[in-house]
Amino acid sequence: MQRYDEDMAAREFEILEHPADIGFRAFGETLPELFARSAVAMLSIAGDPPAVEPRERYSLHVESGDREALLVDWLSEVLFWFDGRRIAFREFRVDRFSDTAIDATGMGEPRTADRHRSRLMVKAVTYHQLKIERRDGLWTADVYLDI
Amino acid sequence: MEIEAIDAWRYRIPRDESRGMRTDVRVYASAALMEQIRKDLSLEQAMNVATLPGIVGSSLAMPDIHQGYGFPIGGVAAMDWEHGVVSPGGVGFDINCGVRLVRTTLEESEVRPRLRALIDQIFRDVPCGAGGSGFVKIGARDLEQVLVEGAGWMVKHGYGEERDAEFAEAGGALEGADAAAVSQRARERGMPQLGTLGGGNHFLEIQYVEEVDDEAAARAYGLAPRQVVVLIHSGSRGLGHQVCTDYVSTMNKALAKYQIWLPDRQLACGPIRSEEGRQYLGAMCAAANFAWANRQAILHFLRGAFRRILGDGARLALVYDVCHNIAKRERYEVDGRKRDLLVHRKGATRAFPPGHREIPADYRAAGQPVFIPGSMGTASWVLAGSEGAMRETFGSVCHGAGRRLSRTAARKGRDAREEQRKLEERGILVRSESRDGILEELPEAYKNVDEVIEVVDRAGLARKVARLRPIGVIKG
Repeated sequence: MQRYDEDMAAREFEILEHPADIGFRAFGETLPELFARSAVAMLSIAGDPPAVEPRERYSLHVESGDREALLVDWLSEVLFWFDGRRIAFREFRVDRFSDTAIDATGMGEPRTADRHRSRLMVKAVTYHQLKIERRDGLWTADVYLDI
Repeated sequence: MEIEAIDAWRYRIPRDESRGMRTDVRVYASAALMEQIRKDLSLEQAMNVATLPGIVGSSLAMPDIHQGYGFPIGGVAAMDWEHGVVSPGGVGFDINCGVRLVRTTLEESEVRPRLRALIDQIFRDVPCGAGGSGFVKIGARDLEQVLVEGAGWMVKHGYGEERDAEFAEAGGALEGADAAAVSQRARERGMPQLGTLGGGNHFLEIQYVEEVDDEAAARAYGLAPRQVVVLIHSGSRGLGHQVCTDYVSTMNKALAKYQIWLPDRQLACGPIRSEEGRQYLGAMCAAANFAWANRQAILHFLRGAFRRILGDGARLALVYDVCHNIAKRERYEVDGRKRDLLVHRKGATRAFPPGHREIPADYRAAGQPVFIPGSMGTASWVLAGSEGAMRETFGSVCHGAGRRLSRTAARKGRDAREEQRKLEERGILVRSESRDGILEELPEAYKNVDEVIEVVDRAGLARKVARLRPIGVIKG
């Protein structure tokens, strides 16, 4: 089992501490990029996206009431595909985006125990200290996960 | 934040109307534990809970309290059944996460020589679930029944012994489950995971009874010194996680409709008597029943592993099974009047006193058994519920030791193999799917469970019955 240490993909996201659980801060030049990277950040805590072959394409669609809820619901959707449908994703392409809806394509393949290592089992995405901000020309998102 | 000491074991944070608090916060802690508790956001979170509509009595914090999401972990909040709210986050993502204690007919000296083989066997038979599935194969129609019948369904279908379900809180199935309120996604995510332990702090520990503090109660629970027992900590797996995720989203969308203002969106809630509230409670009961079925399946596979390694002479019986993430309708006397309440226990355990009719007849004179797992490698406790809990905490006590270090802090500068070796030197074998899993759950990451127990015992919420020491640990 590999470690999900801070050096990994350092510029796309970083790990945030929580007394019982774990979070991440993702960075993006645009909101669609921020959402795509947030999904990869979460999956890097749960698994190992760089080891995934992008052999298949999966369409994901989420609607929500506002930008923050959209981020939680989008990540919850990705987690459902990962834990429920057993799909390992390498990356995401956001096809359409607004503050209340996202259409995206996930590139990946079905999970197999020998090829896709698991790290922490992520139970859910939370609103705890959730923040989406634009700082120094860069979008950032702070998200905490229930482990 | 203003904190007043009431006595050596109780603190109070007065109601602050400027923060929208409808009541005060009461914290059960020693001075030393209070120092640790103040270091994270848990007290802020307990104050946020005090803002929820319909809260009755105080927002309660147990001595193992630590920072969670929305609600603190180790919190209890009772809501008026007619005018109060239900919050999916007040139950948590792992609906009916809980522990069951299993007693064996073996002594420590009989298990030690075969311990490694036993641990390896259990590790094979009770997967953590990262691989996607366990060894229970059920179809969609079976799941429909599992959601209503809980542990009983498993027993009826060969995963257990006749009296197992009787010795679980609520008989291993909550009434009021509404399978139709459980989304297709929750079913899809959870079904293959039935019979798996899960990750995070979930575990299965082989322990022995190290010390008996209350002989009569220990005898009633079938526990004696040196006896080997097994503590199982697991929950409703992906099914419960998805139910909570679905309903946090539903409740968030309904906040405006019910004119509910919240200091933290993770507290999302709706009136108990609303359509959203009714649906969530129906789905929550169904997920709770799935969790009991899960722990029942784990007991079944555990029995098989013991038989295989230690022969037919090893008999395993369920002592009891308690949930520590749940909301239940219960009746309490408040200011001289009996009231129907919805008691949210988020990282808290029900602890009914001697004589309560919801306790199995065999245990009624002793009080309800409560199990408090400590950290891997320290100790766990068996307690019995006391009258004090009925008077002060809506029949509730703590649920564990409570974390002290973050996961990253726990890993820092430590090597999993080295830590595993150190535990082995202390007579504790550990198997885990993940090395990080071992490091993140090291004893150093947690508060001292003995201090937590001291508080609930001295505050009169529950009394000590026995102390358990681990010899083998399987980590999710």
